[in-house]
Amino acid sequence: MTTPPRNWTLKRRIPSDPDICAKLMQSLVEALEEYGWAEREVFGIRMAMEETIVNAIRHGNQCSPDKSVDVEISVSDQDFNATITDQGNGFDPDAVPDPTHDDNLENCSGRGLVLIQNYADEVTYNKAGNSVTLKKVKP
Amino acid sequence: MDQYECIETDKVEDVSVVKFVDERMMDAARIEQLGTELMDAISGEDHDRVVINFENVSFFSSAAVSKLLVAEKRIRSQGGQLRLSNLRPEVRDVFSLTKLDSVFRIEEEQDTAIKTLQ
Repeated sequence: MTTPPRNWTLKRRIPSDPDICAKLMQSLVEALEEYGWAEREVFGIRMAMEETIVNAIRHGNQCSPDKSVDVEISVSDQDFNATITDQGNGFDPDAVPDPTHDDNLENCSGRGLVLIQNYADEVTYNKAGNSVTLKKVKP
Repeated sequence: MDQYECIETDKVEDVSVVKFVDERMMDAARIEQLGTELMDAISGEDHDRVVINFENVSFFSSAAVSKLLVAEKRIRSQGGQLRLSNLRPEVRDVFSLTKLDSVFRIEEEQDTAIKTLQ
């Protein structure tokens, strides 16, 4: 019986292509399962990652085929860490209207950020606002 | 639009029932198509009562939720009512975390959802 390495890591530069994102997510899910993460936690991490990458492609890179997204992920039986960096001008997450406020409930934007905040334990943005780091400790 | 790719439609006891075909709602182009098909399927006088059944769905992104919001507004503007049913716990969490469980009425089963519309 072989013991899995202490952690699984992935570092990749991806174009604005949903198919590549889907393959990357499949690798992530397999790694999380290998390190014993529960189904509900896997769902949450996948949701946070997909929403973050979609934001990077759509809002950061404006879906430009000339721009790419850098993704770095580390998974262990203790924790999950990821940094997603786009080539856009960055944004201020505090300036995005809260979609859970009664006045904004029917707005169609900003909801992805709420999901990311809820599914990750820690979400931090760099100063430029074009790179986000997600952290989650395995319960 | 007679044939849909992203949804299946049915009539049960005069209630329009829509089911999603895809298990995962994430791809941007597919979500756009879903929105178009959904609007087509729920438009018109004979679609004043609609149940959207999530039994096939294991993953639902925020972009797909936005399409659902647009459909809900359309149904409401037609004087109709919408129910969601058969959501897996993880998918239901997406609605509760974003407080959209106060916008959408969510029922456990399709039958229950249909009953609340009669």
